[in-house]
Amino acid sequence: MKIAAFLEWLAASGLAARIRDSKYLFPLLESTHVFGLALVFGTIAIIDLRLLGIASTQRSFQRMASDILKWTWAAFALTALTGSLMFITNAPVYYHNFYFRTKMLLLALSGINMLVFELTAGRTIHGWDRAPSPPRAGKAVAALSLAMWISIIFMGRMIGFTTSRAAVAAPPPAGVNFDDFLQGTPNDSGGPTTTPHNK
Amino acid sequence: MKQFAEWLSTTSPSVFIQNHNSWVIPTIQSIHIVGIGVVMGSVFMIYLRILGWAGMDQTLRQTTSRFGPWLTGGLYLMLVTGILMVVGEPVRELVTFSFWLKMFLVAVSTLIAAGFQITLRKRERLWEETLVNRRSIKGLAVLTFLIWASIIILGRLIAYDHIWGSWSPATKA
Repeated sequence: MKIAAFLEWLAASGLAARIRDSKYLFPLLESTHVFGLALVFGTIAIIDLRLLGIASTQRSFQRMASDILKWTWAAFALTALTGSLMFITNAPVYYHNFYFRTKMLLLALSGINMLVFELTAGRTIHGWDRAPSPPRAGKAVAALSLAMWISIIFMGRMIGFTTSRAAVAAPPPAGVNFDDFLQGTPNDSGGPTTTPHNK
Repeated sequence: MKQFAEWLSTTSPSVFIQNHNSWVIPTIQSIHIVGIGVVMGSVFMIYLRILGWAGMDQTLRQTTSRFGPWLTGGLYLMLVTGILMVVGEPVRELVTFSFWLKMFLVAVSTLIAAGFQITLRKRERLWEETLVNRRSIKGLAVLTFLIWASIIILGRLIAYDHIWGSWSPATKA
């Protein structure tokens, strides 16, 4: 299958090797990813709560959207970039991971959800821009959006608990059983070749 | 601290979390991240208002009345889920450099946020008319935002404390 070859090629690329071999790059990518997603989720939640009629009800929806959404997109670009760079380090494994796939599906669905908004409540915006309670379609989109983004966060976190790092160039310093600290439970079945990571 | 962490890991709430590790810890971590989102969204809107980049149809006071309570609520959510994570994995959390630097920065930024909201309430006109336009205040807003960003990054780095080398207490075990 072509996709399998492509995933192997990604994981074998110089960039992927560079990230895998570095002691710092993967942790920094992952932390930056969390910083970006905090802003993505936080700013989307502000818009969704306005649509639900829960917060910022006195403000113009359009004004808020033009103030906030550009930052949401900038933060989203940061998470997409850092996420892609993490993905390539172990592309075949992530690609087959259930939580990774569900996360990608939910991301696609939240994109469709935005389109639904544009085609429904978005069309009549001039009628309710300053109304404390937007039309029902707007509320439905907002509730779905919040539910999907919270699920996306959970799926993302689960990826770290269900995948193993492909190769660890720099093992933890001698004398420290760092992985025991990470696991600390009897159900640790990780052998020497599957170092658990990003928990 | 290591002894304390090891003792904590033998207590019954800790043992419960450890035994249900496969879903309890990821769930608590996810709620913690949702909390970070609420906190970051809130402080970000207040900073953008101070910088004059967003929310200019609102006064500074209106902006903090909108986002202040969510900031406080988000911080409480993070405190509760954070304590649960420490109880669940005491050694992983407490025997790290990242965790303690993060706690120090959390204390600093929470004090700044509280101080800002209190002085804004007391001297509303001074803030709205003068202080918010000062470059030093805008600079302070950017600096404080960077502290919040560092808090998030350090939170994730708890899982990778070995990157600090000899600064990490985990390497001196």
